[in-house]
Amino acid sequence: MNEYIEEVAYYFPEMQLAVSQTVRMMSISMIFTFIIGLPLGIFLYLTRQKKQQVRYSLLNTYVNIVRSFPFLLFVVALIPFTRFLLGTAFGTTAASVPLAFVGIAMFGRLVEQVLLDLPKEVMELAESLGATWWQLIWEFLLVEARSGIILSFTSVTISLVSYSTVMGIVGGGGVGDFAIRYGYQTYRYSIMYTTIVLMILTVAIVQWSGNSLSRILDKRK
Amino acid sequence: MIQIDQVSKHFSNERVYLEALTNITLNIEEREIIGVVGESGSGKSTLLRLLDLMEDPTNGRILIDGQDTQQISLKKRRQLKKEIGLVFQQFNLLSNKTVADNVALPLKLVGQKDANRVQEMLRFVGLNEKANVYPRHLSGGQKQRVAIARALINQPRLLLCDEPTSSLDTRHTFEIIQLLKKAHEAYQPTIVFVSHEIDVIQQLCQRVIVLERGKLVGIVENMPHVRNQFQETYYQHVIERLRQ
Repeated sequence: MNEYIEEVAYYFPEMQLAVSQTVRMMSISMIFTFIIGLPLGIFLYLTRQKKQQVRYSLLNTYVNIVRSFPFLLFVVALIPFTRFLLGTAFGTTAASVPLAFVGIAMFGRLVEQVLLDLPKEVMELAESLGATWWQLIWEFLLVEARSGIILSFTSVTISLVSYSTVMGIVGGGGVGDFAIRYGYQTYRYSIMYTTIVLMILTVAIVQWSGNSLSRILDKRK
Repeated sequence: MIQIDQVSKHFSNERVYLEALTNITLNIEEREIIGVVGESGSGKSTLLRLLDLMEDPTNGRILIDGQDTQQISLKKRRQLKKEIGLVFQQFNLLSNKTVADNVALPLKLVGQKDANRVQEMLRFVGLNEKANVYPRHLSGGQKQRVAIARALINQPRLLLCDEPTSSLDTRHTFEIIQLLKKAHEAYQPTIVFVSHEIDVIQQLCQRVIVLERGKLVGIVENMPHVRNQFQETYYQHVIERLRQ
């Protein structure tokens, strides 16, 4: 036991650095996931409802391509774009780019599905009251779908925590990279399992927070 | 007030062609309560959607106060919609808004905020104590009263009711009918009341049109059983109906 504590204490500074890298990658990518993915999902839903086939097909194709791409290959394929955007394709900030791309596509699709599950009466009421597009989104769709949207965002966050563990390949660092380099590759399995437990706890906290917030905001049942 | 002039409405896509309304001509007077009866698929709801400006006729014209609804600007159309209230069969309340917020919604959409008016409407429908409650805590009848308060908050000149009592039991149906009579007396809107329940139509409407497969097949003027005493209790009403 003492040996284990000593080992964890020895690697604690590296572990702290790895956690801060994961937090940074996640924060940047989740902010973009929310501010781009939410409008994307709403737009997917509205173009589908209004039968605007061309617009819907364009967005739908983008979402399908990004979501079906094997993630590791996607990170590599995006290197030229990341370099064009940030001047470098290496490091923690650069690693946020592919994460954000995937997060936006996933969240957009989930938001669309949540909106499709709303009762048709919501659209009918908005139409009857002569709501503008903005009012339809703000006063009707987001109000009625908010708990589902929060649960979707929670799921995407958890998926991105998982995706972030492979960002070591572009020098993104993070908890996953730490577990592989300091745990698996140097045969210090205690370090690797400690990191895994840490991630399980993180995911549990994220899920619990999402569920709680969703429950508080959901007045339907 | 409303002239429906040889109106037809068709719906079609690659596979289906549906003639929902065929050549309907009808005048609806100011402050009249007119009933629309017919079986499912007879075109009742399509007629209401046309009057609510949610759809345009395929052929013919609808004139409201002499204005052709298809010829007016979008802005004017929005203004006109403010003068139309619609009560739905399934209430169509937003579950994540309180009763007061649901009632205030039409005001909010036109950029107004008037808490007193909302309270006044809730008092009118007898739900002032439920202002901060969410719809899930209300019975079907109470939900429909909230929907009526919402439809009346802009003091519409035209109140459209799309089978508002179909999903209610007899007692709540009776209460809704009484409330609509009270609303008519207080605010004097023209009411177009769609229903397949003849008994309900008899209690409320002064004139009834009958639709069959999209065609107007009959008009009954001066309905004999209309009673205007909206203070009548539910049990008095039941006894009265049984005696007839």
